[in-house]
Amino acid sequence: MWLTSKIKQVLMVAKPGVVTLKYPFVPRPAPENFRGQPYWDHHKCIGCGGCASHCPARTILVRDLCQELRVMVYDGSRCTYCGRCADVCPEKAITMTDRYELATGDKNDINETMELFMATCQRCGRCYDHETTNAIDKMTRIGYKYDNLEMRAVLPVSSEQFDMKLYEKTEKFKRPEKMGE
Amino acid sequence: MPTKDQIIKTLKDRFGSAVIGSESPKPERLFVDIKSGKVRDISNELVAMGGRYLVSVGYDSIADNGALGMIHTFAFDRDSLYIGIRTSVPADNPVMDSITPDIPNAGWSEREYADLLGMKFTGHPKPKRLILADDWPEGIYPLRKEVPWNLMPPAAEDVAYQLDECPEGCSIIPVGPYHPTLHEPAHFAVYVDGETIKGSDYRGFMTHRGIEKLCQTQLTYNEVPFVAERICGICGSVHATSYAQAVESAADITISRRAEYIRTIMLEIERIHSHLLWLGLAGHLIGFDTVFMQSWRIREPIMWLGERMTGNRKTYGMIVIGGVRRDITPEIKDDILNVIQKVEEELLVVQKAIVGDTAIHRRTKGVGYVSTQDVVKWSLVGPVARARGVDIDVRRDHPYAAYDEMKFDVPVFNSNDVWATVLVRILEVFEAIKIIRQCLDKMPNDGPVLTELAAPIEPMRHGIAAVEAPRGEVVHYVITGKENSPERWRVRAPTYPNLQGVPLMLLNNQLADVPIIIGSIDPCFSCTDRMEVVDIRTGGVKVLAQDELETLSRQIK
Repeated sequence: MWLTSKIKQVLMVAKPGVVTLKYPFVPRPAPENFRGQPYWDHHKCIGCGGCASHCPARTILVRDLCQELRVMVYDGSRCTYCGRCADVCPEKAITMTDRYELATGDKNDINETMELFMATCQRCGRCYDHETTNAIDKMTRIGYKYDNLEMRAVLPVSSEQFDMKLYEKTEKFKRPEKMGE
Repeated sequence: MPTKDQIIKTLKDRFGSAVIGSESPKPERLFVDIKSGKVRDISNELVAMGGRYLVSVGYDSIADNGALGMIHTFAFDRDSLYIGIRTSVPADNPVMDSITPDIPNAGWSEREYADLLGMKFTGHPKPKRLILADDWPEGIYPLRKEVPWNLMPPAAEDVAYQLDECPEGCSIIPVGPYHPTLHEPAHFAVYVDGETIKGSDYRGFMTHRGIEKLCQTQLTYNEVPFVAERICGICGSVHATSYAQAVESAADITISRRAEYIRTIMLEIERIHSHLLWLGLAGHLIGFDTVFMQSWRIREPIMWLGERMTGNRKTYGMIVIGGVRRDITPEIKDDILNVIQKVEEELLVVQKAIVGDTAIHRRTKGVGYVSTQDVVKWSLVGPVARARGVDIDVRRDHPYAAYDEMKFDVPVFNSNDVWATVLVRILEVFEAIKIIRQCLDKMPNDGPVLTELAAPIEPMRHGIAAVEAPRGEVVHYVITGKENSPERWRVRAPTYPNLQGVPLMLLNNQLADVPIIIGSIDPCFSCTDRMEVVDIRTGGVKVLAQDELETLSRQIK
């Protein structure tokens, strides 16, 4: 029984032979529907920010510099390539390309920044005044429109109510001394 | 077998005023509100009626009623029923009875909420730290709402987890946190007498990333599936599906039948690749690398198939609340059929080659023995339980997605050892292939695969859903919240109960069998460690284990 199973194992190994691919010496194109590096078409983008408010990794940041100028930043270093942004884009301005060899020494190679000129409503111009509340501003839960572009971070909302004195109340806040000292 | 009405009636008859009320939003869900004093008796009563303990869910409702909530959940497998018993204790004196002495599997859940919510459980046999790092300051309970999601207390050195006492005359062998046989960090202290294992202690949760807290505070409903998927690198769709189903159950959302079929296909594809991966790893752990190479070779076309279907070879990103994101086109359908045909043929060859191999028999037969009674007592799940004579499978017992229309067998073995887990997993791959074929055959075309939500999800609804992952059952519990985000989201990965059974499996085995025994539960420490706390770099356990050993060795001199 032992010998027959060993013979079977030899056949099992011999039949397929070597299956290792020659990649990266032979390029290996991604399949048709691959979710690779996303690409923003600034001609199509209307700056609605839908991608930013649906991004699970919070990798798309939006900041209004003034009434007319909106900056959108895509930070590729944190992207999970889920493709949700491309799904929700109403203008199909985002496409998931087939590029996947994204290792780089400089993070900026995979970032993308767009400066969009936003039109002001000709009636009174105040509907989207960003200081008052409107439907879009209710999304501030995730820092929408006030993202910190320099820090590449969404401003945390939940920390504000934490009292640092909580630390002092704890019994072991004084860190234990090192062994042997 | 008791029905819902009978269960409520029995509880009311026996415990009278301790049962405050009950709610049954769906035929197969029942939530009973009880007073905290009777929690242990009522849990025991449910187990006596045939309930199987799933998981406990603790939550912070201080803002609403100044209390900490606790929900113990049970499954009645033959009736396709989930029961949650909800209770609460005041936040200033959060003491309740431990149910662990009778239901040992609740041990971790209770330790978890002792760590994270500051609850106290009277009568808990092992009230030690489980989730939090050893240097986390006492008195800060990260799952309470007053604590921010990104809190990082300063790290401390030389704070140690105190291992369980070593039995008389035994030596401690540390396995992990970094060890060739563990593919993820966890620390097992194995107490050996010569070569024979006399006991063990576990300290894990070194990679917990605070996912639950993060999602509760920072993400919206439909962003969570993508994070849920990343709880585990192997069974991603499982977590996403389970989460989506929990929310759909809480909010009463119906999705199209076609979407449910596609979910079923994704889950089964995942099962095929996970079991092949495990088969390879198991071979590797017992030093049989031919199996490792060949089963991973067979697995690779499945990964490529996933790439063509969903756009990624893993973390498919297919499942969101309301359905799935991509449809299955006729071309993809043919593609799937071809690939699974190939896998089936090749796995048959591997099966024939390894089932007759006496070397594998000697390494796995009789190893990791746990009696069927102990498996039931410890509520172990998945292939680990099925290899030990416990016939449970969520797909059959609590049908979800399209499993109610599928015909498949649930392989169960009675040899109670690692060998049986190998067989269970190989046979389940063939069953998975069968299910995928049925799905593709019967798939209806009844509307969009992604259903738009008609109304906002109402707050404070409870939903529970379980999905049979390759490793066992995944349980997700969701309490819906305001602001388009869950109030509480609890994940229980299959490794969570199964790891608690590892000391049983190790007992009286040989030290050399530790890798394959731990490996036989297909442990996924990242799944288990998914917890609510933002990870702080511990490292403490490793250093201290060494220190302890050094001190011990000096004492012996």
